[in-house]
Amino acid sequence: MDRNQLVKWIKAPAKMGHKYSLHVVYFCTGCGIIEIPPSITARWDAERFGVIPVATPRQANLFLITGYVSTKTLKAIIRTYEQMPEPKYTVGFGSCPINGGMYWDSYNTIKKLDKYIPIDGWIAGCMPRPEAVFVAVTHLWTLIDKEMADGYKRYREKYDYYRANQEKVFGEMEWPPLYGKE
Amino acid sequence: MIIVQIILVPIIALVMGLLFMGLFRKMMARIQWRYGPPITQPLIDIIRMFSQKTVTHGFMFEAGLVLSLAGSIVVALFLPMGNITVFETGGLLVVLYLMLLGPLGIALSSGESGNPNSSIGISRKFLLALGYEVPMLLVLLAVMTHYNTISLAEIVRIQAYRGWSFGSFPLLLSGIAYFLILPAILGIRPFEIAGAAQEISSGPKAEYGGKFMAFSTLQHGLQEFIGLSLFVNLFLGGGDLFGLFGMYANTFLGNLLAIVVLLIKMLLVFAVGVCINAAFPRFRIEQALNYLWTWPSLFAFAGIVVIMITG
Amino acid sequence: MTLELLLIVAFGGAFLTYFLGKISGKLRNGFAVLNSLAVLVMTSFFYGMNIEKPVAFGFFDITFVLRMNMVSWFFAITIVGIGFLSIIYSLRYMQNKEKLDYYYFTTLFINASMLGTVLCGDLLSFFIFWEMMSWSTYLLISYRGNDRAVFAGIKYIIMSIIGSMVMLVGIISLYVNFGTLEITELATLIQLAPLGYTLFILILFSISFAVINAFWPFHTWLPDAHAEAVSPFSSILSAVLVRKGMYGLYLFMYMILGLDLLNKLRFGVISFNGVFCWIGAITIVFAALTALLQSDSKRILAWSTVGQGGYMILGVAFSTALGVAGGTFHILNHCIYIGLLFFVAGAIEYSTGGIRDLDSLGGLIKKMPVTFIGAIIGVSGLIGLPLTCGFVSKWMIYKTLILNGSPLLAFFAFLGTWGTILYGYKFIHNIFLGQLPEEHENVKEVPFSMQLPIIILSVLVILFGVLPGIPLKVVNVMDTYMGFESLNINLAGVVSETGALDTINIFMVILVVFVIVGLLFKAGRKSRKTDQYDNYAAGAAIPKGRYNYTVNFYNPLSTIIEKYLKDVVDAFYMKLTGFVTNVGDGIRKLYTGYVGNYIMYIVVFLAFLILIQLRWSVF
Repeated sequence: MDRNQLVKWIKAPAKMGHKYSLHVVYFCTGCGIIEIPPSITARWDAERFGVIPVATPRQANLFLITGYVSTKTLKAIIRTYEQMPEPKYTVGFGSCPINGGMYWDSYNTIKKLDKYIPIDGWIAGCMPRPEAVFVAVTHLWTLIDKEMADGYKRYREKYDYYRANQEKVFGEMEWPPLYGKE
Repeated sequence: MIIVQIILVPIIALVMGLLFMGLFRKMMARIQWRYGPPITQPLIDIIRMFSQKTVTHGFMFEAGLVLSLAGSIVVALFLPMGNITVFETGGLLVVLYLMLLGPLGIALSSGESGNPNSSIGISRKFLLALGYEVPMLLVLLAVMTHYNTISLAEIVRIQAYRGWSFGSFPLLLSGIAYFLILPAILGIRPFEIAGAAQEISSGPKAEYGGKFMAFSTLQHGLQEFIGLSLFVNLFLGGGDLFGLFGMYANTFLGNLLAIVVLLIKMLLVFAVGVCINAAFPRFRIEQALNYLWTWPSLFAFAGIVVIMITG
Repeated sequence: MTLELLLIVAFGGAFLTYFLGKISGKLRNGFAVLNSLAVLVMTSFFYGMNIEKPVAFGFFDITFVLRMNMVSWFFAITIVGIGFLSIIYSLRYMQNKEKLDYYYFTTLFINASMLGTVLCGDLLSFFIFWEMMSWSTYLLISYRGNDRAVFAGIKYIIMSIIGSMVMLVGIISLYVNFGTLEITELATLIQLAPLGYTLFILILFSISFAVINAFWPFHTWLPDAHAEAVSPFSSILSAVLVRKGMYGLYLFMYMILGLDLLNKLRFGVISFNGVFCWIGAITIVFAALTALLQSDSKRILAWSTVGQGGYMILGVAFSTALGVAGGTFHILNHCIYIGLLFFVAGAIEYSTGGIRDLDSLGGLIKKMPVTFIGAIIGVSGLIGLPLTCGFVSKWMIYKTLILNGSPLLAFFAFLGTWGTILYGYKFIHNIFLGQLPEEHENVKEVPFSMQLPIIILSVLVILFGVLPGIPLKVVNVMDTYMGFESLNINLAGVVSETGALDTINIFMVILVVFVIVGLLFKAGRKSRKTDQYDNYAAGAAIPKGRYNYTVNFYNPLSTIIEKYLKDVVDAFYMKLTGFVTNVGDGIRKLYTGYVGNYIMYIVVFLAFLILIQLRWSVF
């Protein structure tokens, strides 16, 4: 953890800021959310890393997709993701966002979440333990350092691809495209 | 010389505001048997938030927030910091009215955001303010009547040779009343009603992202600084430590020591406030109004009656 | 340029407007504007003059006296100023209404009679103009002609007539005792009268002025009158008409009685001034807290008018130089910003097709930006934010209350400010902020002739807030007239050893800090503009049309204080009216229309007289 190295702060304050102030959208998307409250309470204190849940997506920069994603939840996830300010990072938590996990043959869940919103990293497990949250956070720091956590940039550049996939699931979307033709 | 003061005083106020917020989170964490973030965490948060690109809802959304932070900085310029008061015109009355600019700016800005959670948050914030203003006005009027002046700098000067207000007999009741409503002024539990994260999804801050959230955090820190500074200046003697540093009265070292003493006093009061915050849950607004209009108002009213009788 | 010419132009213009209206609408409108402009220009010529001029009336050997001094000029300029702006405003506002000749005639007539009341030097002409003002106000309050308007008008005229009759009793008593009604002569003669008689006269006149000025407990006519009157007239009503009561109090308390006599009117710890101070304090708090509970835009402003009147009497009755100056300055300030706010409420009514209900509006800032700026500046003045004129007058009133040992009165005054903040914000939020309902998608900004008064008054609020020395010079002269020592005024505020006020200083500080913070803000990343439907709703779609918080805006407070804020005075007056109506109904039953009953009454009464004659031999 290089939080105390003043030189790095002066050289790249935005990057260091994003690393050590990861505010999580407190949106419990699925069953995996049961592992998040232990990680922010006294035993596995996440606040010492700068990770804290916030009330609305407008104030956040980390989105944890915890657990399986049903199609109903996917709409809310996409809306929440688009409401977050940029730069923003997403981490898929559990096996379900990776490849469908336990619900690999369900009619109602999303098997590959990466087709609908960009994901920066995955944690495997059903459910991963709270320590895995910290592994995710530290790994995200390395990615941010190397400028490889660019999910939001991919969303902007390949927006037509993501929007097409979203429309394939939902048909008519209730909100206009985020990045228009202009 | 005055340019230096105009630049330094707001910077000190902002830095101390951020320090208070960081200390708040660290102390709460330690009380809860965990390590907690570093004390500079609010600064890290602000740096991160400032580098984010977010949405805006209109002109008033931005202008209101700028007005709010500007208003709070102006109040910091009018409050005595040790022996220095950068601007003194109009006294405590001007300070009281300038303190309205902060909440009003936030109210206009978050009203424009179009989210009813913000509107509910603002209505509760104003109701809480009406709640604590009843005892607070009685306390402030008692102080002004007792010292027979409306100038805040004058009140600090008088306390330097007459002793702290909190210790003088007629003002003891008013001091107790002011201490009882201090959590409401600072917006910490049990009166954390306006910015309640869970009940109204952070109230006025619901639609603030990016640089708006950064400014809102700065304004919140500054608001706490102003609330504590007013209390310490009125009741705990401002930058004076029982006259110990009287020999350095008009020198640069004297002014510096006065500022340091003031900040230490504010930190001590704030530490007591954090302990209160750790022990209590959040009130509902009706419970808060009920409390604020009974015991503190009773003490404050008794204080003002004592002052009017003893002259 | 004589005073009679001014009055002739004012009254003549009113009548001429009516007849011109029979010829052509545009001619009438243009003439009304020109007339009010002419009266405004002519009144401003009289600045600084001191005239006292008897005008022989002809019969009964009565001479009227017209006079002009700084006090009269101060009130006159507010009357003609707001009158002029109101006529400009009503050009477009009243365009599609009926009975327009009647409307313009009555408005100009009310302005002229108000002008007449302040130009009088003797009590009889004062009474005549006062009565003319009263009944013409009734005509315009019940202009709309529906049941509620007529009810409001009748409530007003009954209370006003009771006040006028009390004043008439006072006038007759003064004439019988002193033989003259001229104010300057009365001022010397009344110093010799016994103290009890002076108190009696003062109370009689004060009741009448308190009714017009709507102090508690005489305030009950004001909310109904404002809610039902048309908007351009509402601004005249609350800005200048109710302040005629303050002019009357000045006339009596200071110009006739004088400061020394006033200070002698005390009975132990209760003094006449003290009673009025407390009436003012109660009015402030009661009105501010009741305004919170209203949800009609004009009713909120009506209660605000009632409350701010409390500040004026608090300052004026406190009888110190700073207090009287503060109260007087507050009259001017209140006139400016309440006129502004009523114009804003009228603009909203005009654009949305008559909606005054705050619960159903929202988000109009996007469609009506100029009106929003006017509303914000008006509400800031009402609250008393620094940089607006309201702050200076309130500062003066507070300072004198604190430094002269009345902290409890100061507490009530401060509490009124906080109530004002609450209902001011509710006014702005429910109309302009929040989400725009779909039925108001096509609302447009009001036409320029309606924007012009709003813009002018907003500029005046800020100008008098940053440079209060301009009106304070006039107020200072008025102070010296009334027997106080003059204040030390410079362009930026009040200078004194016990704490000065320098508004230019405050203005520069706020401006510089605002600019710096604004630049810092612009240094951040540019934000993307979104519409109101892209909002946080916990991941769900915004329920369109239902995502706005306006109803019961201060619900927790309403539930706590509603039971304490029942308007018992209003209920009492209504009960009294009901009782009188019942008694009248009972007496009416005597008139059965059947001749046989009448003959029976005559016979029974004759028998009663004969019985008395037989028993006691009275005749």
